[in-house]
Amino acid sequence: MESIVSHEDWKNCFAELAPALLLFARRWTHSRADAEDVVQEAFVRFWRRQHSLENRGLLYATVRSAALDRLRGEQRRSRREAVASLDNAGHCEPVFAPGDEGQHLLAAAIGRLPNEQREVVVLKIWNELTFAEIAVVLEISPNTAASRYRYALTALKKVLQPHE
Amino acid sequence: MNDFSELEAELKRLRPAPASAELARRIERALEAPEEVPTAGILPRRRNAAWWSLGLGLTGLAALLVIGLTFFDQPPPSQGVAAVGQKPGATPGFQAAGLTQVVYSGRDEGLVFPPNDTGTLRRRLHYETRETMRWRNAQTGASVRVSYPVEQVVLTPVSFQ
Repeated sequence: MESIVSHEDWKNCFAELAPALLLFARRWTHSRADAEDVVQEAFVRFWRRQHSLENRGLLYATVRSAALDRLRGEQRRSRREAVASLDNAGHCEPVFAPGDEGQHLLAAAIGRLPNEQREVVVLKIWNELTFAEIAVVLEISPNTAASRYRYALTALKKVLQPHE
Repeated sequence: MNDFSELEAELKRLRPAPASAELARRIERALEAPEEVPTAGILPRRRNAAWWSLGLGLTGLAALLVIGLTFFDQPPPSQGVAAVGQKPGATPGFQAAGLTQVVYSGRDEGLVFPPNDTGTLRRRLHYETRETMRWRNAQTGASVRVSYPVEQVVLTPVSFQ
């Protein structure tokens, strides 16, 4: 299952994956700079261990682990407390490339989603993980991942309907 | 899920912001740098833990040795218990209730060579302990406790194979 990828390939892989990785890392960090630090640490760790890039779930799990380690180090709290504090923070919105007005509205609506729903949407839409893979990354059941996704899209649809 | 297909298509049109060039450079530098092997942080701790465990083990062994020598090999300590026990014995009803020995220091003072190369080579072990003896009167419930420090030197034969 594990495939060894040559060192020259990392730039191509990173260029392809980095935007979505950063988007995911923003869920666990308070700023873009912190997200970049987390992605750097996770990507280097993942690449050095020569895991298969087809195993996207493991890559995102590495990002999540690196982010939580960072949070624990910074806040000297348990993992659960750190996650709870981020849930209450509400200021780590995903960042998207500039688009038209409709896309701005959609991006803002995504930013207002609860963190636990937003991370599932990020992993599903922009990282194209299956619910089974999302479940592994987030340490939840596939059914929970699917229901969070459904709740999130329902909420987004409600927000966007008046503008359609 | 079909209800959301249009929305999903809209979402996919949103593109996450690209990573900065600086991030790619940082990763390149990190990948080129030699991997940090965690030995600097972990091995010394393990080594310290090993020494600590060894120290505890040796102390425990020393305690067992001293207790064993006191109770089984050397008649004087048992006589001591009896002798001290006779003092409260002036008051009838007191009986020895226990003896506690705590080894708080033990050191190996090295080999002791026999004079003129005769006899057996021995290792000199020096223990500092505190012994506590208790007597109890079963009728009145009164108890007497005596505690005193003990320094003990043990010479153990050393054999080479």
